[in-house]
Amino acid sequence: MPPTIIRDLSDTSGYWAAIWTMCPMPDIHVICDAPVGCFNLVGTAVPDYTDAVPHIENLTPATMTEQEVGGKGTSDKVKWTYDNLAASGVIANKQVIVVSTAESEMIGSDHSSLVTRLGVGTRFYYSNSLSEDEWAGRDRVLRWLWSEYGAPFAGDVAVKPGTVNIIGPTYGCFNAPSELAELRRLIEGAGGHINMVYPYESHLAHTPQLAAGAVNVVLYKEFGTGLANDLGKPVLTAPFGMHDTTEFIRTLGDLLGTRAHADAFIASEKKGTLQAVWDLWRGPQGDWFGTLDVGIVAGLAHTEGLVRFLGDELGMKISFAAARPRRPGDYDNEGIRQHIHRRAPTFIFGSMNERIYLREAGSRHTNFIAAAFPGPAVRRAVGTPYLGYRGCVYLMQEIMNRLYEGLLNFLPVDGAYAAQRNPEAPAPAASTEQNGNMPWSTDARQLLDRELEKLPYLPRISASRQLQMMIEQLARQRGLNEVSAEMVEIGLVQSRQ
Amino acid sequence: MSEIIKLEGGTSQGAPCKLHPQSMCPAFGSLRILTRIEGSHPVMATDTGCLYGLTFVTHFYGASKSIVAPTLGTAELMSGEVVEGTRAAINVAAKEPGVRLIPVVSLCVAETAGMPEELLPRTVGDAEVVLVRVPAYAIHSHPEAKDIAVAALLNRLAEREGAVRDKSVALLGEVFPADPLAIDAVLRKMGVSETIFLPGRSLDDFRRVGRAGALAPLHPFYKESMAVARSWGMPIVGGAPVGVSGTSAWLKSVGNSLQLDPALVQQVIDEERAKSQAILDARPLSGRVLVTGYEGTELAYARMLVEAGAEVPYVSTSIGQDPLTLPDEMWLKARGTKEVIYRKALEEDVAAIDRYAPDLVFGTTPLASIAKERGIPAMYFTNQLASRPFFLSSGLAATVDFVAGVLTKGERYRWMQEFFQDA
Repeated sequence: MPPTIIRDLSDTSGYWAAIWTMCPMPDIHVICDAPVGCFNLVGTAVPDYTDAVPHIENLTPATMTEQEVGGKGTSDKVKWTYDNLAASGVIANKQVIVVSTAESEMIGSDHSSLVTRLGVGTRFYYSNSLSEDEWAGRDRVLRWLWSEYGAPFAGDVAVKPGTVNIIGPTYGCFNAPSELAELRRLIEGAGGHINMVYPYESHLAHTPQLAAGAVNVVLYKEFGTGLANDLGKPVLTAPFGMHDTTEFIRTLGDLLGTRAHADAFIASEKKGTLQAVWDLWRGPQGDWFGTLDVGIVAGLAHTEGLVRFLGDELGMKISFAAARPRRPGDYDNEGIRQHIHRRAPTFIFGSMNERIYLREAGSRHTNFIAAAFPGPAVRRAVGTPYLGYRGCVYLMQEIMNRLYEGLLNFLPVDGAYAAQRNPEAPAPAASTEQNGNMPWSTDARQLLDRELEKLPYLPRISASRQLQMMIEQLARQRGLNEVSAEMVEIGLVQSRQ
Repeated sequence: MSEIIKLEGGTSQGAPCKLHPQSMCPAFGSLRILTRIEGSHPVMATDTGCLYGLTFVTHFYGASKSIVAPTLGTAELMSGEVVEGTRAAINVAAKEPGVRLIPVVSLCVAETAGMPEELLPRTVGDAEVVLVRVPAYAIHSHPEAKDIAVAALLNRLAEREGAVRDKSVALLGEVFPADPLAIDAVLRKMGVSETIFLPGRSLDDFRRVGRAGALAPLHPFYKESMAVARSWGMPIVGGAPVGVSGTSAWLKSVGNSLQLDPALVQQVIDEERAKSQAILDARPLSGRVLVTGYEGTELAYARMLVEAGAEVPYVSTSIGQDPLTLPDEMWLKARGTKEVIYRKALEEDVAAIDRYAPDLVFGTTPLASIAKERGIPAMYFTNQLASRPFFLSSGLAATVDFVAGVLTKGERYRWMQEFFQDA
């Protein structure tokens, strides 16, 4: 069977997972067994735009060139890199981890014995980059970190009652600062105290302290459950939507013995944070949600969470929902692309890829809202969560403002201003003398109707009038008495330009 | 394929160790060019981590273009399915509307596993299939990968039959969109019949270039592409229309290569010189600037800034030293530049900040952030400097004006640094 074809890959590899999971911890220094590209992309070019960090400072390549690939192997280069890092003082008091890349795996580099001859404690991590994706990769790295640096030293770590670990985020996790802030707020609202946020806000040296957490909450359910299970305490996943968030707070209250505290928090949230949802629901805004359709492409937690809140709770029609990693039956990018080309929904939560497919389809009426990587996004403000109670408010607010934006773009503006800017442009259709409606041939009418069907409901109302006027104008210019299908085709081409 | 280059060379006593080389993934340079061409639908042969990173930056800095690739994991690589998978991906790309070119971008793991060109189709339907080999371990910098891509397209597409249009010139190098208009206008005044700018959006430009009267690479890393032109016997115009002296010399070379009327050429040179000189007289630069990007164009920028009055003690770039870089290097060193570093690493640039205490730094993102941590005004060379008009008097005005503006912003950088220094 020939290899399957990937279109616009959504999920990166185990190597990226390793770097992005290890490097948030400042007392790690990673040497990647990599050509310059694998260093630059993972350490600078991409985290500039996923995490808005200038570069990952605790990452150094053992830069692989033709000599190493051509038979020399990379051991000397790794040792040279280690020695020079040591001489520069950068790795004093740090744990050094040598990580394999696709190319080093391709040439069979295995440094598990080399690292024993480098500084004490230096380890080799085989990232399995040719086989493992970023989700399985992150899960395995977290378990490896626990087994190497945590479990062996956790024997006398006592459980601290009432404390909670948050597993995840790493670098390259969509919306991490906001999701983390909201999750922390929910946990504390339920009466818990944060023990560790691992690895995002941790030090490697503190890894054994994971054993002190009474409950583990997995932030991104696409990875981290492995470590949570290894820790052997109750495991929860971060909640999206009002129903699941309420359930999460109650359950956590029960687990921590703070149920009364949790119930009081829920009650105060209904009067506070969630009052906005209640107001929007009762106001004219709430009416819209049941009329809107949405496509969702995101990590597993965000996909399931957005379906839960937007679909189950607000009643939006889910046009498609594809998780990363894909669940059985989820669209791959080819399927998503075809769906968008066929008919784009009013809203798409997704990545750069969906944006490209929208542009290919000329779908200017679809509102795109970022919900996943790949794609450049600054998400460092902590006020834009998708999860938890605040996530409900933020999502409703964001969707409504996008609708307003679309409506404002469709309200008519007097055509004389366009004429003033560009005297060469043809007069706007509405201002011509023969402004009566023209007869349309059946073919022409059906063609226009079919085209309008592809538009989301809201913009369809205005677009239909605009297109009709523009096509009639074309027909008049050509001296026709009736609008033909050919005129519609020409008009549609012009309208897409 | 480029020769083997020792990257850690130059670790002599006292020199900083080259631990962190500075380049985008080299292959990005080729993808940027190949995705922007109308009707071009690239196939990437590589592993998933590479594919993710390169499509990420290409979809941001190149074009909004869907990219297909065969799955190349352990199973496929070890069972020799690289070619089979690539052929299947080519067939998928061939279904895109309006497809005319399918570049096969072959990267580290595919090159290591082996990608024999003769096993790929030369054409599919109306589309040319062109193999572009850009393994990062062998190319070393993304500007040089641009050259590999252009050379591959020239080799395949350039049309050599028919009469040479002897008063036309092909200009080679990615430039700001206003630059081709300005260069074309000035060259036509000298008697040039037409200009072709490569690499652009049009595949036909790669065909037409085969009958141009001369090739003028505007950047010093188009080695392979120049070799293709030389093999046709096409004259090459060296240098670039940068600053006052650079522009005069370049216009003269174009005139000589195309045998234009010397009096007319001199008249245009004088006009441009007067315009440029007036710009520099009106707003001379003053301050010490480090020019340390990784676009391969840094020497030319340094040269312009020096001519405008700035002190540029240190210039570094990602590309290798080459006869093409020598004229600018010698020009700079004769005018006070102390160091020109090729295939640079972050350590060298940081040491230069320590050594020269600059007023302004144009650098890679890591370097710019390090300069800002010290309260020194700094910007990402690629986004801020390399993305403005640059050539002739109009480019000089735009670039010098911009740099002059940034040089007045020191207070803000110091304030930010003071505010955050205890963070």
